[in-house]
Amino acid sequence: MSATDSAVDPQSPMRELPVEPQPNSVLSRIMFWGAVAFILGYCATLLGAFGVQLGLGEFPCPLCMVQRYAMILATLPAMWIVIEDLRGTLTRGRYVRSLGLSIIASVCGAVESTRQILLHIKPGDPGYGGAVLGMHLYTWALITFVIVILYCGIAMTVNRYAVPLAPTAPWLRGVAWGVCWLFIAIIAANVVAIILLEGFALVLPDDPTYYNLLHQLGIGA
Amino acid sequence: MIVLMALAIAIYRGARAGIVVTLWVIGLVAMLVLFRYHVTSPLDLSF
Repeated sequence: MSATDSAVDPQSPMRELPVEPQPNSVLSRIMFWGAVAFILGYCATLLGAFGVQLGLGEFPCPLCMVQRYAMILATLPAMWIVIEDLRGTLTRGRYVRSLGLSIIASVCGAVESTRQILLHIKPGDPGYGGAVLGMHLYTWALITFVIVILYCGIAMTVNRYAVPLAPTAPWLRGVAWGVCWLFIAIIAANVVAIILLEGFALVLPDDPTYYNLLHQLGIGA
Repeated sequence: MIVLMALAIAIYRGARAGIVVTLWVIGLVAMLVLFRYHVTSPLDLSF
């Protein structure tokens, strides 16, 4: 046999592909619950923002709302991962694509929150709204976006060994579905909130102090 | 926000990947347009 007979064209579709490693089931389950925790974390964040809005009476400024959009845009791909996995249709390609979408949304969100931090960075500036645990909400938002970028980076790095694996126990699947439903309910609540805040205008006022729709309809303040 | 709600429903109902990604991109572009609209002045900072 000559040397040329055994040579393999690296561009040939018949070349021997490297063997994919068998996914680690423990790590795969961890990645599934990591995605659920990702959704739950942003549910808590968005509910906290609602708490500040409704409980403390602090109205979200337009930049705050744009950061909420970014949080939802970053979390929807995670919800896609969880729902596809629960339905048994998740593939490695779809998983990595969803992580990529989350990273893009998080980078945009980080830019938005950085812009708001820089608006109030001068000494003596009290910032917009009250502080939670010593930091304003837009600073917390930047921290969450950075955490998401790190999480997605790690998940992409280990995707050869771990693609999320949904549990088989009905109650655990119910927990995962419940978290997805909670997130969808929070998005619906944000739709209602934005309609109340904007009223018949196309965009939010720069410094909202009342619900514009109620004002326009002559209800309340 | 309504685009995001539509996207969430599309994901929940198991819509085709093309529809989900298209809605996501529309949502992203809408968010960036809103951000651009509300950023009206350069930062008054000097380093």
